[in-house]
Parts: sequence; structure tokens; C-alpha cells
Amino acid sequence: MDISFKNVSYVYQYNTPFEHRAIEDLSFSVKSGSFVAIIGHTGSGKSTIIQHLNGLIRPTSGSISIGNFNLSASDKPKNLKELRSKVGIVFQYPEHQLFEETVAKDIGFGPKNFGIGDNEIMERIQQACTAVQLPNDLLERSPFDLSGGQMRRVAIAGVLAVNPELLVLDEPTAGLDPRGQQDMMDMFYQLHKQKKLTTILVTHSMEDALKYADHVIILNKGKKYMEGTPTEVFANKDALSKVQLDVPEVIQFLHEFKERFEGEITYSNQSIKQLASELTNQLKGLTNNE
Amino acid sequence: MSNSFVEFRNVSFRYGDDQPWVLKNVSFQIQSDKWVAIIGHNGSGKSTIAKLMNGLLFPQEGEIIVNGLIINEETIWDVRKSVGMVFQNPDNQFVGTTVKDDVAFGLENRGIPREIMIRRIDESLKAVGMSEYINHEPHRLSGGQKQRVAIASVLAISPNLIILDEATAMLDPKGRFDILQVINSVRNQERLMLVTITHDLNEIGYADKVIVMNNGSVWAETTPRALFAKEKDLKQIGLDIPFVAKLAKEFIELGIPINKTPLNHDELLEELWIYHSKM
Repeated sequence: MDISFKNVSYVYQYNTPFEHRAIEDLSFSVKSGSFVAIIGHTGSGKSTIIQHLNGLIRPTSGSISIGNFNLSASDKPKNLKELRSKVGIVFQYPEHQLFEETVAKDIGFGPKNFGIGDNEIMERIQQACTAVQLPNDLLERSPFDLSGGQMRRVAIAGVLAVNPELLVLDEPTAGLDPRGQQDMMDMFYQLHKQKKLTTILVTHSMEDALKYADHVIILNKGKKYMEGTPTEVFANKDALSKVQLDVPEVIQFLHEFKERFEGEITYSNQSIKQLASELTNQLKGLTNNE
Repeated sequence: MSNSFVEFRNVSFRYGDDQPWVLKNVSFQIQSDKWVAIIGHNGSGKSTIAKLMNGLLFPQEGEIIVNGLIINEETIWDVRKSVGMVFQNPDNQFVGTTVKDDVAFGLENRGIPREIMIRRIDESLKAVGMSEYINHEPHRLSGGQKQRVAIASVLAISPNLIILDEATAMLDPKGRFDILQVINSVRNQERLMLVTITHDLNEIGYADKVIVMNNGSVWAETTPRALFAKEKDLKQIGLDIPFVAKLAKEFIELGIPINKTPLNHDELLEELWIYHSKM
């Protein structure tokens, strides 16, 4: 699904003393099938963007198109339900949204709401469980008896069961242990490739943005601050630190190396092994030149 | 008596008679003036340990001694005077309508006289850099500011030990760094023990000691440096080592001598510098 934001502003409690401008004159586009990371501090407008993506709110000014759907201050799509069946949003701590008696019912809730037949729902539950690597014998258990990581997988399976074309992930790995974080992100990346999804990842993790995204958008105080490929964006360490954002740790280290040894290595997705060997060559080269 | 402030003696715990054991025969000590990090995969029993430490839960087997007292129904109020706790989500912890009221809550509960209360509120907000927010509503603060107020509320009751249960997990990297700075500066001002429960590998580097939990048992009790040398074992129990320790390992394989596993960038750069200047 192609997405485009054109000069979008959103004001909370418009025309009241509590008026608060959350995003301002924001324009960007996301190509169908791409993996985009949106990064910014708390209060930079990330959550407001997410709420636009499935029509929970409409822009105060400007216009948004998501596939064939258009949103603007005057344009309320008649078929919001159809939009929401195509846009799956995994909110922060999605396990807080679980409510059904059994895991199967919770996963099936979305498709049921969209009028999918019972047989099809059963199939989708199966597929969603496979996708999030949730063992089948948990299906008849109460979701509240599961571990935190399993609960989160159930919640995500519920979003996937609707078969979205656009998947929006808001800090999906928060609170998980290191392996849980990596497994979860690898799973989303695999789904992204397999199902040819368009994926928007809202994150604080520069490391994840670097590892998975094709395109990065940096927000600051409701405005677009930078955008580009991860390597392009993260090459601008100074511009990022101006808005108090860090670069990924590996790039930070290369900067510190450069300051200390005056040897420069550009980051281009090298493995840690490759980096160590390039840095070693630099060290040796520096000595030979002296 | 040893100088341990907290001691777990063969502690086992489960949430119900038909539930699996969450902690199995856990024993360890926390010495005075130490910063101890507790790490482990989700469900390894870390948060249960925190809740046992100030009597929010009681073990079925074994005993827990804090500040010389065995924790039981009669001692918990004394124990809680010396153990403060900060949780992951500060919103779950706010009671006051202003920052001032919120910090006052713990003091009021302990019947502290008004003059001392006012002084302690000022001091603890100053310690976390939130003095100018004293009359703000806690709910309107940013995540990092909220967490600083939560820490101030705990500091106000002058505990000997503060437990931070994934207290930085919901913050962005900047907020996380700020909180660690606040904690460090508070620790420099007063004698304070810390227990931090965390998944953040770089945060572990600050601690004096690390307790690694796995499936309800103590898997290792060691220093961060010694721990980060065990990448393979840690991965097997769902954990990992920081980037800088991984990079150091690759340097060693290339034949560059790294004398001690680095905890941060500076330490690794220093090792490379020594190597470079000897060449």
C-alpha cells in the first residue's frame, strides 16, 4: 500500500485553551512493500501519525492517502472499516489489549468483526499462530495464563489474522529480553518479506532501524527533521545530536575511533567480524605510515 | 554478623499451590554500598525477587533477611522503611495531584513532621533535577520526568536500598541515559545501595555485581566484566553481551591483545591505543 502525507497538521483540542499542535506541515511518502522506520522522542508526533494511519483521527489540515483511501479535514472515508481491515496496528504493550476467554477467540476476534466466516477464521488463526511461532496447544488456554512474551505473540497474531497489507508496529519489542527482542524483530522482518507487507516501525532503537529499515524518517517536535536510507541518515551524527538523538552504537564507536586514531571507516552494513578486521588494518596502516 | 544488607537463604517461591515454582532454592547476598544488577530472560524470576525484597510477596520456603530483620508480617513495615522501589511504569505509582503531593505521600504515611517533610521534598526533587516542576501535575510530565519524580518519591523516605525494576525500559535512549546519570549522582551524594533489574546490556556495565537468573535459579553471580566474557553461555539462556564486548572478541581472534573485556567504548579504545603505541 502506497502511503502519502501531504502538508499534514494535527491539533489536539483545536480552538480551546488546551490546543496542542502534535504534527505540523508534515509530508512524506512510503512506497508499497517498503520497510520504514519512524524515529523521534516522546512527544515528537509518532503516535499521532499512527492514529491517522487507520483513520482513528483525521488531519486538521493537509491530506493523507493510504492505498485508495483519502483522509482530510473535510474528507471522511465512508469505508473506514475496509481501511481498518487493511491496516494492522500493533500498539505498544499490545498484550494489555487481550480480553477473550481463550487464545483462539482472542486471535479470531478481529476477523470475526470484519465478517469473516467461521471456517476461514479457523484457518487464519492457524496461519497467524504459525507466523508468530505460537504452539497450537495454547489455543484453548486463557491468554492471561501465558508468559509476557507469549501474550504479546497472541496479541500480534490477532492483528495478523485480519490479513493486513500495511503493518504498523509501535515499539514492538519494549520489555522483552534480548533474545525475545531479536526473535520478535526477525519474525516481523520475515513476515514483511513473505507476505510482501508494507511495514512501518515506530521505534527508539537506532539499531533496529539500521538493521531492518529501507528508509528512515526522523521526527522532531511534530516536524520532519531528516529522512533517507539508514546509512545516509546515520552519517549525520551532528545533526542528530542537535535533536538529542544518538546514532546506532556501531556508528558511534567508529566516530570515537576516528577521533582517537584519525583513521576513518564508513559504515556499510559490515558484520562485527568485518569491522574488527577493517579497524585492525587501519591500526596497522597508521603505524606503517609513521 | 556479615556486612550483607540483603540476604536470600534457600528461597523458593510460587504464586499458588498448583503453580510451577518461580524461584527454586535461591541464595545470594548483597553487600553494603553495592550496585547489583539482576538480569535474566522474561519469566526467569527477576521481578519476583524484587517483590520479595520488600515484602510485597512472602516465600514458601527459605528466608529473606534485610537490614538484620527476617522479613515477615511483623517486620515488613520496618523493612519497607529501608527499601524503596521504582517500577517500570511510573503511571502506576502516582498518587498525588501535584509533584509535591506525590513526593509527600510516602512521608505522610510515615508521620514525618511537616517541616522535615518540606525539606525532604525539596532535597529529593533537587537530587533528580526536578525542583522547578514541584507544582506540576505528574500526569503531564514526559516519561523520563515522571520516572525522575518516582525516584524522588522513593529518595524522600531515605531508604538504604532502592530497587529499580526495569525502571528505564519505557524511556527513550536519552531518557534512559538521564535517569542513569541521576542515579549515579544521587549515589555519590549519599550512601545508597542499588538493585537494578534490567534487560539493558549497557546498563549492566555500571553495576559492581551481576546476578544472572535462569528458570528460577541463580545461574551466575559475578562481575559485569567476567560475565561479558561468556557470550556463548549467555546466548544459550536468552541473553547477550554488549556490542563493545563482541567487537573486543573479534579483535582477540585477529590476534590483537585485549587484556580485559571492555565495559564501554573508552575501555576498548584504550586497549587499541596501547596495542597501537607498542607496534
